[in-house]
Amino acid sequence: MGEVDSSKKVADRYLKREVLGEGTYGVVYKAIDTHTGQTVAIKKIRVGKQKEGVNVTALREIKLLKELKDPNIIELIDAFPHKGNLHLVFEFMETDLEAVIRNHNIVLSPADIKSYIQMTLKGLAFCHKKWVLHRDMKPNNLLIGPNGQLKLADFGLARVFGSPDRRFTHQVFARWYRAPELLFGTKQYGPGVDVWAAACIFAELLLRQPFLQGTSDIDQLGKIFAAFGTPTPSQWPDMVYLPDYVEYQYAPPSALRKRFAMASDDAFDLLSKMFTYDPKARISVQQALEHRYFTSAPLPTDPDKLPRPAPKKESSNSKASDFNPNEGPTVLSPPRKSRRVMPERVSFEGNAPQSDKVDDHVGDIRQAAGESTSRNEPVPMSVDFSIFGAKPPNRPTINSADRTHLKRKLELDFQQPE
Amino acid sequence: MASNFWTSSHYKQLLDQEDVDVVLPLDKEKGITLEDFKLIKMHMANYISKVAQLVKVRQRVVATAVTYMRRVYTRKTMSEYDPRLVAPTCLYLASKAEESTVQAKLLVFYIKKLYSDEKYRYEIKDILEMEMKILEALNYYLVIYHPYRSLSQLLQDTGLNDITLTQVTWGIVNDTYKMDLALVHPPHLIALACIYIASVLREKDTTAWFEELRVDMNVVKNISMEILDFYENHRMITEERYNAALNKLPSRV
Repeated sequence: MGEVDSSKKVADRYLKREVLGEGTYGVVYKAIDTHTGQTVAIKKIRVGKQKEGVNVTALREIKLLKELKDPNIIELIDAFPHKGNLHLVFEFMETDLEAVIRNHNIVLSPADIKSYIQMTLKGLAFCHKKWVLHRDMKPNNLLIGPNGQLKLADFGLARVFGSPDRRFTHQVFARWYRAPELLFGTKQYGPGVDVWAAACIFAELLLRQPFLQGTSDIDQLGKIFAAFGTPTPSQWPDMVYLPDYVEYQYAPPSALRKRFAMASDDAFDLLSKMFTYDPKARISVQQALEHRYFTSAPLPTDPDKLPRPAPKKESSNSKASDFNPNEGPTVLSPPRKSRRVMPERVSFEGNAPQSDKVDDHVGDIRQAAGESTSRNEPVPMSVDFSIFGAKPPNRPTINSADRTHLKRKLELDFQQPE
Repeated sequence: MASNFWTSSHYKQLLDQEDVDVVLPLDKEKGITLEDFKLIKMHMANYISKVAQLVKVRQRVVATAVTYMRRVYTRKTMSEYDPRLVAPTCLYLASKAEESTVQAKLLVFYIKKLYSDEKYRYEIKDILEMEMKILEALNYYLVIYHPYRSLSQLLQDTGLNDITLTQVTWGIVNDTYKMDLALVHPPHLIALACIYIASVLREKDTTAWFEELRVDMNVVKNISMEILDFYENHRMITEERYNAALNKLPSRV
């Protein structure tokens, strides 16, 4: 196997290993950087087939990641053309936060949760300092490296903000992580949308399941209001002026403190401040990082010591490509996805029938590549929930209709003069 | 762009004038002089501007495209990277990077409309191929800062509420892209130099305001002088002069 692989050198520098996944704008594969010995993930962006050259989403990611160098943001190590295609070289990440949250063999202590959310906020703070909105914060875009470092990834939806009149599309974020102002159709929004999403992730770390699982945009708002109570005009004065504002029947706040009984008072206080309705009053990422939650005991776990899924078989460094053919097309997904899937698969191997999972992965992968054309999307999911005897909740990502809409909106955005 | 210039790749990539004014050996062999080199870049800046007007993109896209083009020629030769292809491709790439995508076929259509000369004729596939080469030449750094943003803030700060002053300043800033200033100086200093020139032209006294700024006025004055020299020397450049320079470059195979 090794001989075959070593012949597949890309650009004389990267030793191609197994394919990790296929996205709409290209294949992701694992490789060894022969200059450094480092394992990397290479995203091949097909250009030849595109009528419009380098994909705009890919270009946006390149543009921003070249400027965003931070320990908590995925590193774009290199980029090069090869055989007419553009190749992006990223640091190789072992798993992602979704895999951690979903893996019920993993116990997260309060200190572990603090560490994960702190790294999330640190990465986000760096983006916001650079006036970049991530706009697609969710657990499976938070990758986890070999030393436990959490890094923000997937900047395909990210935008530079700061121009006061700049209008953006509100069709961003996977629904469960969308802030109420986006659900009400605001076109002018700021870093608060990322804070809301981070709050959802924080809640998910505590609950070990997605917090607000709406099945439509309307339902999403319903879920939010059911949790926090319908916002009053004094809580959020600008709400009634939002483009898609509709009046909701009054719902009182739920017994939220009870639902988050596992959270310390500090944790709950920070969470509530991040879940503030009025984006103007919502805590900023920087303020969140300065919250006493992060300085009170227990202190955040050292990233090295954070619990995470066992590294999957194929990635054990020595025989990278010696995977068992009986396992089927196991590694059809980009690093974070396969990671997310593999530990489960290893632990529950031979348990549930796997045949229909493959399709799910393919759909998942398309999502992962952040592109817009995947049709008949299966619900992306990380775990075969049937093994838990429970129906998995539908994990919304932006669906194809949303994406077409988004694309159209973005195009409109593009044509707007400043 | 509002993000922090001082930590940006743009700031790190600023060059000294001597490093910008280098005609690479291959071009030198073809007889390209420094004057030719500058003229061709200026001509291409105009070209980008003209096409941009036809495809209707905002000035910032033009500014970014011209900066890309100028950066490319600090690293690549005109003999190998035909300016007549590099210029529209930079516009194409800049339109994407500045989130105002222009279709390649639209560009090709307007290029044909603008220039009947066959040397300007390139097809979509040429542009797409060059796009990749330009990305590489730029080392994939795409974020460019421009004086426009600081300009409005600064003008407001001067307290000179004068529409014509604003217009004059804006026009001068646009003209700075006919030179290599953006490769050498940070955008806010270019903005200040343009305000300085405009205020002198419009006979507005800004001395006190400039004195209160914590910037190196020598740099601002040097930039201003460069701009004024440029206006002085480039009042009359004929199409023939550009063509004479361009004709030294090899025609494509």
